[in-house]
Amino acid sequence: MDRQEILQASEQSLAHLRSIYSDEAETVVADARYGFISGLLKDVLKKPPIERLTLSDKIDKVVVNRWLGLPLFLAMMYGMFQFVFTLSVPFMDWIDAGFGWLSELAAGIGGWPGSLLADGIIGGVGSVLIFIPPIFLLFMAISVLEDCGYMARAAFVMDRLMHKVGLHGRSFIPMILGFGCNIPGIMACRTIENPKDRITTILINPFIPCGARLPIFVLLAGYFFAAHAGLVVFSMYIIGIIVAIIMALVFRKTLFRGVSGHFVMELPPYRLPTIKGVLVHLWERGSLFLRKAGSIIFSVVVLIWLLDYTGVLEPIGRAIAPIFAPCGFGQWQAAVSLFFGFLAKEVVVGTMGTLFAAEEEVLGGAIAAQLGWTPLVAFAFMVFCVLYVPCVAAIATIKGETNSWKWPVFAIFYTTAIAWIAATLIFQIGNLFVG
Amino acid sequence: MAKKIIIALAGNPNSGKTTVFNNLTGARQHVGNWPGVTVEKKEGTCSYKGYNIKVVDLPGVYSLTAYSPDEVVARNFIVEEKPDAVVDIVDAANLERNLYLAVQLLEMGAQLIVALNMMDEANSRNYRINVEGLSRLIGAPVVPMVAKRNQGTMELLERIVEVAENKVRVKELVINYGREAEEEIAKLERLISQDGEFSRKYSSRWLAVKLLEGDEEVIKKFKEVKVG
Amino acid sequence: MNQLIPLAMVSSGEMVQVVDVRAGFGLQRRLADMGLTPGVTIRVLNSQMSGPIVINLRGSRLVLGHGVAQKILVKKV
Repeated sequence: MDRQEILQASEQSLAHLRSIYSDEAETVVADARYGFISGLLKDVLKKPPIERLTLSDKIDKVVVNRWLGLPLFLAMMYGMFQFVFTLSVPFMDWIDAGFGWLSELAAGIGGWPGSLLADGIIGGVGSVLIFIPPIFLLFMAISVLEDCGYMARAAFVMDRLMHKVGLHGRSFIPMILGFGCNIPGIMACRTIENPKDRITTILINPFIPCGARLPIFVLLAGYFFAAHAGLVVFSMYIIGIIVAIIMALVFRKTLFRGVSGHFVMELPPYRLPTIKGVLVHLWERGSLFLRKAGSIIFSVVVLIWLLDYTGVLEPIGRAIAPIFAPCGFGQWQAAVSLFFGFLAKEVVVGTMGTLFAAEEEVLGGAIAAQLGWTPLVAFAFMVFCVLYVPCVAAIATIKGETNSWKWPVFAIFYTTAIAWIAATLIFQIGNLFVG
Repeated sequence: MAKKIIIALAGNPNSGKTTVFNNLTGARQHVGNWPGVTVEKKEGTCSYKGYNIKVVDLPGVYSLTAYSPDEVVARNFIVEEKPDAVVDIVDAANLERNLYLAVQLLEMGAQLIVALNMMDEANSRNYRINVEGLSRLIGAPVVPMVAKRNQGTMELLERIVEVAENKVRVKELVINYGREAEEEIAKLERLISQDGEFSRKYSSRWLAVKLLEGDEEVIKKFKEVKVG
Repeated sequence: MNQLIPLAMVSSGEMVQVVDVRAGFGLQRRLADMGLTPGVTIRVLNSQMSGPIVINLRGSRLVLGHGVAQKILVKKV
């Protein structure tokens, strides 16, 4: 029997069934399966005659309420960052003290080995490792949001807004995940079926400030905006989200025109996250960060120390620096930091740490004194860091998820262009006011 | 020599599948990608009573109609690789929708074990589930569990070994799709059963139903040129 | 009063029966897989005019975008 004939026979059968069931033929099979299930459940499942409103239904009355949903979401995000920062301070102090002690010890060795250890490794890696507490707490908070069932609610609440930029609520989940790290954020776009929606959501994800950019904000905002540091850090997140949303709109009007896909999503019941579940999640993402810190950050920091020690680094930096002059940070040290930040965003702070041979605690002061930065320059620099080029790992993920080099290459250039324009605008316009 | 068993974990999203996977495999996990698609593939191993059990975590899906890459991956693994047992993690507090996947797995002739997870939630809502009755009606072992407290894992492992060792055979489930549809299914089934290769490898009835569902993956199979 | 109305127009708390799903093949199949087939009774848990809705369908909570909810024709029960 020829398989072609079987196919033809099946088409005839299908046509016959369509003539009987009209346009419901497609659902006959699903309907019969559900019919079978209802039948067997009548025998084996006894539900109470009147089902009480479940706890999830009660919580949802507030959480996905038309008027309360959005303010509650914003409060939740604000609360999450407050939690992360407040709780991480004591841990950061301990790590800082530990590295200070190590640094003194290393400096005692003297000569180039002492410099490599104290300035290069402890200054560089130490200024990154100190951010393990906030980064891990952020991962943890996001895991809790995922595991308790809130993430799907956030998608529901944001659907109306996302609809206005041509996407739907599901595209919002990758954005929240991006706060932790853009890689899981970009990978979460897999659940979006419509290809145009998916690529748009992937391309805007790098604008969401990931945990690796947190060190830059905390360092610079902490020194240059002391009393308002929290507000300035929060504004970086707002700027990232706004640019992401604007770009989504631009993409939907230019590269990816057409209607967005269908929004169909299950709302899981609220569940108390288990400690084990959160820890497993935390470990999956945290170990990735640690491996990155151990490999990329460590080697880059050693490389920078070597280039600096041998006097090669400064000419490289001076060659790139003029590009950033209109943005306000045209110093070679800034250029070098941003350049190596392409490998991993933590490296931006790590490089500064090595170049100024300083730990996090005094690094802000060193930057202000030696580069002559004003709060305005620091702000422009932070905005640049929010928006510019995704890190190498994120680029590789975009390549993997879109299965082409076209989109990662596009992402490298368009994000950097937007970052440069935004930083220049902030610096130039800000200068008019600050004088 | 430890005897090797390969099992697949299936289940809806939010059914606690990941927790069951972690309970079974602990830290012995490997994460990669399914070949050719951007779908995460998680594998782990587990030793039990001298058996070396390889656990393949399939993507969380609601159905196996080949609508999304996730569904294609999950289905192809079960149909082509024929694991020794398939464990479907089912949310006991949401049986109706969760059993839809179980029914499809049974129709494919999978050696299915239903892990009835979140029994605590079902109990707190005063749902009374007749576990033996359910097992009898679907013709597959059913194991009540509370995965987040690691309850039921041992019994699940016991059933896995029984099924893998052929001590328990799970029969292919036949659902009545109504007189007209059944006539067409019978017709196609007869034609397919004459195709030696297909009828050896797959259930003829399952292929017939899939053809009537207009399933693109199965239609593709039929369009491929016969080799040998 | 057995008028057909789109699911998007049903207000929160109401019970309705699905009569017809006027969607393309893919969406219709997908909704059927989730248990949204003609004849099934659903409760609208949360309806926001011009926004997405939440329904209780066969014991689970499902979010449907406004566009999807407009393609589903229901009658009140």
